[in-house]
Amino acid sequence: MLLCSEASRSDMNEPAVAVTGVTKVFPIPFRKRSILAVRDLTLQVPPGQIYGLLGPNGSGKSTTLKIILGLVFPTRGKTEIFGRDSNLVESREAVGFLPENPYFYKYLTGRETLRFYGKLCGLRGARLKSRVEELLSLVGLTSAGERRLGGYSKGMLQRIGLAQALVQEPRLVVLDEPTAGVDPAGAREIRDLILDLKQRGITVLLSSHLLEQVQEICDRVGILANGVLVREGPLADLLAIENRTDVVFENASPALLGEIETLAAKSGARLLEHSRSQTSLERLFLEATRPSEDSKRQKPR
Amino acid sequence: MTTSIHRAFSIGRIAAITGNTFTELTRLKIFYVVLLFALLLIGNSIFMAQFTFQQEFQVLKDIALGSMSILTSVLAVVATARLIPQDIEDRTIYTILAKPVARVEYLLGKLAGVLLLLAISVIIMSALFFVVLKVREQTVIHETLRQMRASPPEQMAEALGAVRASAFQANLFSGIAIIYVKASVLAALTLFVSTFATTTIFTTVVMVFVYFIGHLQSTARAYWLQTNGGGGITKFFLAFVALFFPDLQLFNLLDDIVAGTAIPPTLFAKTATLGFFYTGFYLLLAWSVFHRKEL
Repeated sequence: MLLCSEASRSDMNEPAVAVTGVTKVFPIPFRKRSILAVRDLTLQVPPGQIYGLLGPNGSGKSTTLKIILGLVFPTRGKTEIFGRDSNLVESREAVGFLPENPYFYKYLTGRETLRFYGKLCGLRGARLKSRVEELLSLVGLTSAGERRLGGYSKGMLQRIGLAQALVQEPRLVVLDEPTAGVDPAGAREIRDLILDLKQRGITVLLSSHLLEQVQEICDRVGILANGVLVREGPLADLLAIENRTDVVFENASPALLGEIETLAAKSGARLLEHSRSQTSLERLFLEATRPSEDSKRQKPR
Repeated sequence: MTTSIHRAFSIGRIAAITGNTFTELTRLKIFYVVLLFALLLIGNSIFMAQFTFQQEFQVLKDIALGSMSILTSVLAVVATARLIPQDIEDRTIYTILAKPVARVEYLLGKLAGVLLLLAISVIIMSALFFVVLKVREQTVIHETLRQMRASPPEQMAEALGAVRASAFQANLFSGIAIIYVKASVLAALTLFVSTFATTTIFTTVVMVFVYFIGHLQSTARAYWLQTNGGGGITKFFLAFVALFFPDLQLFNLLDDIVAGTAIPPTLFAKTATLGFFYTGFYLLLAWSVFHRKEL
């Protein structure tokens, strides 16, 4: 079972990630020009939350994540993970990372892959073995554990990627476009896994441009545009429209709606619209493509 | 997460990367090079009948050690050239360095994986070579016994001694060890080039040039010093070239070994030490580029 350590509980108020005044400029070799990827970025990821870093392609999301992980070095400013400078190797003991579209080693099986990453984190022997089985079960790949990754589907690769990110029971998980290229069913499984991590007290920092998914799971978001943080805060606050209220009825008759409209007009409020509630396209797709009980029974064994 | 103290340098982490690199290279079936060596040896044995036994053993050693030297050099370059660029292209390097793994540990693990592969390849090739040499020696001994049935025992013993002496010589082990050292130097240099190269092809092409420069530079240096004299600046320039392009001719003891000339232990020790120095120096250069590389 995934559990955060006592140490992590003792510093619950310390930000999981603190980015302070970070600017990143990429010089272009043999030219006088350079690319400004991130400009004067300051943000904090509170512990135990799911933080979404949003932005269009090329807005600086991946660069920011790489700076936090010490894979790219900031031109100015500093980043910390649970109070440790993220340029220090030991700061990564608390972090698991899943990059965008990872390939991993195709010649390794799922089980061997997790064993390799476990060894990198200092796990050995029986502890490593039990951790590997636990993770395969968590991401639903126990039966595919002996297959080489070369034969895995995109969704399976993302799930094994998520499992390797969790191998040392990190307090922070960083996910770069975790559902990119995954079909809706796979994306939902990954979304559920992310929500499960939050339940276990793990902080999640993810980047995405799939706004609907972010809206479903994130507690807090930051929006990057051209390397600048243009909005930041709790999702509920950012999305709330100050002078509007939604009320949803079930089985409301046209007469009742008319009465409510009249009542509202009397108190000075104005009904802007009323329409039938709709499901999301994602939910419709999942319901339509979910195998029925009959078809499950008819499947050849 | 368990509250363990992070060790700045961990043999366990390096061993994990070494094991993974070795698995990668073996599953890429890079050991087929050894098969090529076996075919060369077998093919070579077919054409032996027309020589005297001294010539036969000499040709066998020449071909075996020469092809072992070339094949291990090719193996060192080809196996190492792909490791870092491939990890960057597949983004697997992010998942490794996002773990508590120091960049120097990553480099050491990769190089150690290649050196392990080279060591096993050299051991297998040597075993094949010694088996073929032993078989040929036994054939020649039987033939000698058959031809000298009527000769006095002393004369026969002398003839058999001559056969054995021209087949096995302790020098062969020195020669094979130096072949391994030379391949290690090439692997470390390839690792250094691959830290700033963006593709495997670039690294391989650079290493082909380095290989030829490395073999020709001693001749070029001798000619240069003969025609231009040995001024201070010239010597400094030549030393600089020798540092970045290893003098691979220094590792070429095979001609003497094949000819049966004894290799003095001091020469062997000096050559091996030079090889270790070059390997360490290129690893240091690789780290100096890689430790601040933007990934």
